Amino acid sequence: MTRKTPLFRASISAAIFLALALSTSSCSKDIPSSEALPTVTPANTDANAGSWKMIVLSGPTQIPVVAPAPVSDPGYQSELASIKTAQANLTDAQKTAITYWSSGGVLRWNQIMREIAARSDLPPSPNPDGSYPVPSPANPFANPQYPFSNPPYAARAYSYVSVAQYEALKAAWYYKYLYNRPSPFKADTSIKALLPASDIPSYPSEDAVEAGVNIALLTLLFPTSVDEINAKAAEQQQVALISGRASPSDIAAGVALGKAVAAVFAARAASDGMKAAGGSPAIWQSLADNATARGEIPWISQDGPPRPPMLPVFGKVKAWMMTPNDIVNERPGPPPSTSSTQMQTETAEVKSIVNSLTRDQQATVYKWADGVSTVTPPGHWDAIAEPYVSAASFSEVRASRVFALLNMALHDAAVACWDAKYFYFNPRPSQLDPSIKTQTGLPNFPSYVSGHSDFSAAGSDVLSYLFPDGATYFQTQMKEAAMSRLYAGIHYRSDIEVGMDHGKRIGDYTVRFAKTDGAN
Amino acid sequence: MTSNHAPASSGFQNPLPRRPPLLFSRRRSVLAGSSPKPKERKARHTALLPACLTFLCLLCPSLNAQTIDDGIMLARRSLCAGALYTHDSWDSYWQGSLQRVNGNIGTITTQTITMAANYGVTSRLDFIINVPYVWTDASKGVLHGQSGFQDLTLAAKYKLLSIPVGKFGALRAIAVLSGTLPMTNYTPDLQPLSLGANSKTLTGRATLNYLGRRGLYLNGTAAYTFRGNVTLDRSSYYTNGQLYLSNQVAMPNLFNYGTSVGYRKNNVSLLGDFSVQQARGGGDIRPQDMPFVSNRANFSKAGATIKVPVPKVRDLQYWFIYSNTFQGRNVGQANTFTTGLMYTLPFEKRATP
Repeated sequence: MTRKTPLFRASISAAIFLALALSTSSCSKDIPSSEALPTVTPANTDANAGSWKMIVLSGPTQIPVVAPAPVSDPGYQSELASIKTAQANLTDAQKTAITYWSSGGVLRWNQIMREIAARSDLPPSPNPDGSYPVPSPANPFANPQYPFSNPPYAARAYSYVSVAQYEALKAAWYYKYLYNRPSPFKADTSIKALLPASDIPSYPSEDAVEAGVNIALLTLLFPTSVDEINAKAAEQQQVALISGRASPSDIAAGVALGKAVAAVFAARAASDGMKAAGGSPAIWQSLADNATARGEIPWISQDGPPRPPMLPVFGKVKAWMMTPNDIVNERPGPPPSTSSTQMQTETAEVKSIVNSLTRDQQATVYKWADGVSTVTPPGHWDAIAEPYVSAASFSEVRASRVFALLNMALHDAAVACWDAKYFYFNPRPSQLDPSIKTQTGLPNFPSYVSGHSDFSAAGSDVLSYLFPDGATYFQTQMKEAAMSRLYAGIHYRSDIEVGMDHGKRIGDYTVRFAKTDGAN
Repeated sequence: MTSNHAPASSGFQNPLPRRPPLLFSRRRSVLAGSSPKPKERKARHTALLPACLTFLCLLCPSLNAQTIDDGIMLARRSLCAGALYTHDSWDSYWQGSLQRVNGNIGTITTQTITMAANYGVTSRLDFIINVPYVWTDASKGVLHGQSGFQDLTLAAKYKLLSIPVGKFGALRAIAVLSGTLPMTNYTPDLQPLSLGANSKTLTGRATLNYLGRRGLYLNGTAAYTFRGNVTLDRSSYYTNGQLYLSNQVAMPNLFNYGTSVGYRKNNVSLLGDFSVQQARGGGDIRPQDMPFVSNRANFSKAGATIKVPVPKVRDLQYWFIYSNTFQGRNVGQANTFTTGLMYTLPFEKRATP
């Protein structure tokens, strides 16, 4: 039975071969972390963007930018010489960086911001006594780190950075065409254009404007990501230089403009009501008391241990396109009473659906879960916009308009949705019927109306206006996102239907602005 | 609305977790391995036997159960098959290196019924198949448990060497090539309640085994597992410090090793087991986040295996296997037991008494 046969020797060889193969093979199964986006060459210079309507700034000259030195100036000529020197000695890392930023700074910063928001999207862990610590902006690196980038926080952050970039770029465009300084590759033909060439004047540098905004404002919103933000900003400025698109003085003026605009937005952020959005134990109790006084069952946290509600006063945070009165006026009517037959029927529907999900429905739940460690629903809609912006070959200022309009609507949807949620303080299906088990994490705030539905309707509304060819797709995504919350067992059907209607009305505020902003 | 922000559950799980640990499947072969010649047995038939067979066949069309990682081979043309029930539960888990409990999940219980079969093609080549059906449940919080068929395991186990050690026993070297294939498109994105990782895997394993004539059993085994990318239902995910704009997740490979020491003779096995898994990459569970499918799942387990013949039923063996995860990273501190019946059907013998 154990004679040494050729088979035996063959098996030894095979085993050795297998062992070697296993020990040496290194599977190349890496997943690229940043998306390969196509190079964008602006189809239109948008020379009149300096006259597009401002949102926060009083006008394009609110931040003064002094005239640049003439092309013949010896100082400028030495700047050009430094670019030539740099271009003669490009490293591989620099070439990679040029490719990265050639997709457009606005798109890249949007991706970077989503990554940072996802990293910060972690709720604090409970203390041993069952209480929860609160992230502190005064000590952002302490545990838990500041911020907890939950959906309202993320919506606000995306909108601040997007709107500030848009305003700063409009101002930059104003000065570009006021001063008309050519790009280095046009001023000196021995300088190569390593980024897509355009006729857009280079002073101040649009790339540097974006870097300046993000250094100041993105860091303010996500202080623990300061090193990454500074590194990206420095890289973007370097790429503007070595690509022959901007000179050191173009870049310096751009960074200064970007930071100055960011300071205006930082001042707004300091007084927009966010600091009070967490409420207090007295406020939390009053919300429950109000619901009880109306004869309704108040929402309770189903986290273990029970967690204070997420940002219960976020509904009072300043919106972009809506006044506080608008928020109240657009507030949906009440949900079905918790003691009504309709609520019983809707609760039963949730239970029935969640217990008989198809795999496709389950996939929809996970696609739209947007829970902890994700870009959140507002970021999801930014990701949906990304390929449309990229394919449209927009100038930086027009690309920034898309993200500004989209994120203003998403922020306003967050404010208006949170207003409704805490006004009604309506319980989740799994609270009314504890036998309901959910297919994704249960959000720690009241049910009515569905945030996914609200965000998605507002986002779809704005994107459908900006990219009419995609309208059908955006609508499909909106409905899918909204229904995913019913499949997940965390929303009633009325939360979803009313939420979509509400979100559309919120989005319309931004669309009305966009129709008259001078960019059409 | 929006997100699971609140609950933040977390649990853990290691990608292979739910599969009855390979240790379990250590099958024994009644017919003794090959080196010592199978003892001759008289063909006795009890009335119980057909009944038992019927029972087992109901449980699983293709029974078997076997041991991918032990040093025992089946006799030529014999089938060892049966059904095993595994109960795995934990409430404490390691979030990275931090051990904690989580009020949003309470105790995570995973139950598995595995239908297993091992066929001895020759005295030195066995084929093994495992089919697990899994149920998961969280005792607290609101998350929905999952259930369904998990991953099919197929293995070819080949005895390379059998060296007599004086008059005391024999040393065997065994190589195993095995793979797993998800049987259904279950989601890997609801850890720790997902049925598994939904990854195709390929494992190379080497085992050294000593079996003494008086029953001393020493087994050492080591394996390296390649794991294929996992596809999520979403287009981006954050893990290990990065946001990935893709639905594809690279899974870290796994290195496993283990030893078993004890007694094995006359169809009785009494063993102490120790095993280790080290993931070759992957990120930690983030604080208060759900576990992610590609987390670095490391563990050390210790336990015991008992296999004894069922009285009066020839060739039927009862198994009880227990293990405790006493150290880990991104896994639950699980207590796991497996119990079941395995039947060995010696075709050869019938043909040639």
